[in-house]
Amino acid sequence: MNQDAIKELLYKMADDLLILGHRNSEWTGLGPILEEDIAFSSMAQDKIGQSQALFEILHSLGEQEPDIVAFMRNANQFHNSQFVELPNGEYDFSTIRHFLFDHADQLRFEMLSNSLFEPLAKLSRKIKGELKYHVFHANIWVTKLGNGNEESHSRMQNALNECWNFALGIFEESQFERQLIEEKIFEGEVELKKRWLENISGILEKANLKIPNTNTWQAINGGRQGKHTPNLQPLLDEMSEVFKIDASAEW
Amino acid sequence: MIKSLDPRVTRSEIDLNNSIDPLKDLDQWETYEAFHQKKRGEQHIHVGIVHAPNPEMALLFAKDQYGRRGITANIWVVKTAHIFMTEYDDQDIFETTPEKIYREAGGYKVMEKINKYRKETKISK
Amino acid sequence: MYGNAYIDPNEKSNSITDGEDIQKLNAFESRISNGEKIEPKDWMPKEYRKQLVRMIEQHAHSEIIGALPEGTWITRAPGFRRKLALMAKVQDEVGHAQLLYSAAETLGKSREAMINDLITGKSKYSNVFNYPAYTWADACIIAWLIDAGAIINQVANAKGSYGPYCRALDRICVEESFHLKYGHDNVVTLATGSKIQREMVQAALNRWWPPIMHFFGPSDKISLHTEILMKWKVKMATNDDMRQQFLNMYVPKIWDLGLTVPDSKLMKNNENKWEYTEPDWDEFKRVINGGGPCNAERLAVRRNAEERGRWVRQALLAKDSKYLIPLA
Repeated sequence: MNQDAIKELLYKMADDLLILGHRNSEWTGLGPILEEDIAFSSMAQDKIGQSQALFEILHSLGEQEPDIVAFMRNANQFHNSQFVELPNGEYDFSTIRHFLFDHADQLRFEMLSNSLFEPLAKLSRKIKGELKYHVFHANIWVTKLGNGNEESHSRMQNALNECWNFALGIFEESQFERQLIEEKIFEGEVELKKRWLENISGILEKANLKIPNTNTWQAINGGRQGKHTPNLQPLLDEMSEVFKIDASAEW
Repeated sequence: MIKSLDPRVTRSEIDLNNSIDPLKDLDQWETYEAFHQKKRGEQHIHVGIVHAPNPEMALLFAKDQYGRRGITANIWVVKTAHIFMTEYDDQDIFETTPEKIYREAGGYKVMEKINKYRKETKISK
Repeated sequence: MYGNAYIDPNEKSNSITDGEDIQKLNAFESRISNGEKIEPKDWMPKEYRKQLVRMIEQHAHSEIIGALPEGTWITRAPGFRRKLALMAKVQDEVGHAQLLYSAAETLGKSREAMINDLITGKSKYSNVFNYPAYTWADACIIAWLIDAGAIINQVANAKGSYGPYCRALDRICVEESFHLKYGHDNVVTLATGSKIQREMVQAALNRWWPPIMHFFGPSDKISLHTEILMKWKVKMATNDDMRQQFLNMYVPKIWDLGLTVPDSKLMKNNENKWEYTEPDWDEFKRVINGGGPCNAERLAVRRNAEERGRWVRQALLAKDSKYLIPLA
């Protein structure tokens, strides 16, 4: 199997989950109501845990320890989509991002559960329930807030508009797309995006929210190749502030 | 604006002297009573409440508040308003119940009679 | 995470049971002395209800405010293991607030009313959270020693007389045992680590020792009030007893790590009691009354969080909603 292709896939998935899990954890203790604060934190923890599991697989392929890889790289070495590094904004933005990202994430892992790269297939099967719950949670929240009152509806619609092109950046194709598909490791970003659109369309319709006009669609790419918004480096500096006091120490 | 040790707080640009309107009634929604079943075959047990605006969210919240550790098979939620209860003041309606041994297995001590009969009639083995 | 209910020593205490139905009061008291629990709809003396609401509410506030000093480090926890664990720990504090507000609600005060009293500064919460967590090591000391103190208090209160509070505390104590282990593991790692790490943790201990000594509150005035609250199993141990218990359990553990407790008078005397420099109770009062280093920030952050979440809560509120006091 093409190791470079597999590593590239693992890195972008792990980075997406690490950065979004980190962003979502910023809500802990500051959420809109105690109960949702708890629920949102559980999902952030799941994401960090999933990211760690992916870095473990990378480690088994010869990359450095998960902590070193996660805490010691600079922004231009990160492969996450720019979408996940954007600041949290208000709960409208955070909820829509959670919805758009987690649908893609669930589908990606679902597709990977048949991957011929067994470690990834195994992980996908293991975390199936976590991902199902994330989507379940996102669907309910988006539907209820979309149909809430005038304010919540317009906030959610604005957030969706704001997120849309960034969300399309999740599906930025890699240089290894063809190899991944041929070697039956991953069916590819095009297929993932197609299924994603199918899945979210129905829910957004129920939520009374409109996907922006297709003629405005313009995926914001670059994240997969290490090009990021000015938000990522400060996030990483903050995340690794303590770790970098002494990266060789146990913390 | 607060310049905090917590970078999250600094980013939120919070005025130290902010003031807000008090929360109104029902700001925190209604309450649902949550019931947790650990394993299939076991009873659902009342574990507490969640504040929620609808049953779907009550289930999400109960899952994370009461099922985020250990094992869970199933969760129920019921609006507090939909639960009816006896009064603790009327606890005396149950007072003599434990005395009604005619409805308990322990109220039937046949072995005593059998042993007595055996002794009297000298049945052995 | 919580010390002990702050009972205002100047409160009038000579007429606690005035006007109560003596027969009902006797039945209530004998239920408690028989070890039975009081449930929400039971008859209870006004003072019992008032003190419990105040105590459970203060406890709930302490949890949600307590999420802030540790939350200070949530985006900076070093390494996956610490990052996940700190997220889970702060989440637990939020969860504890939820459980405790729920228990207090059964006594007839709505969560909205309690939050309003918190953010306007009317209600108190544990003083210890008005101090800043300067470094990662501060978060570690909080997780170990403040949670240790809280457990002593919570284990005692779990044997109290009010059913819903005891049930909430039973659940909370299970989670606190994770916090304590997590905190201890963190402090041990720092104390047995590099020179920088040892210095960090010693400095944090030095900063947190005075608030820890304040944690259980000043010596109780021997008053009729305290006696009755103890008889009613609202207050389960004196502040001094809990402080002694804490010192007994944790000072040796701190010394084991080669750390220094910043109190030259600290020692166990011949009567097996810990002697220590009397904490600065004027400072304690100053901080309780709003003069601590972080009081204003903590409340401003809570107000901000409530305000940012308001549109969410309002949008989801169903038209036919009706609040009822939760059952248990």
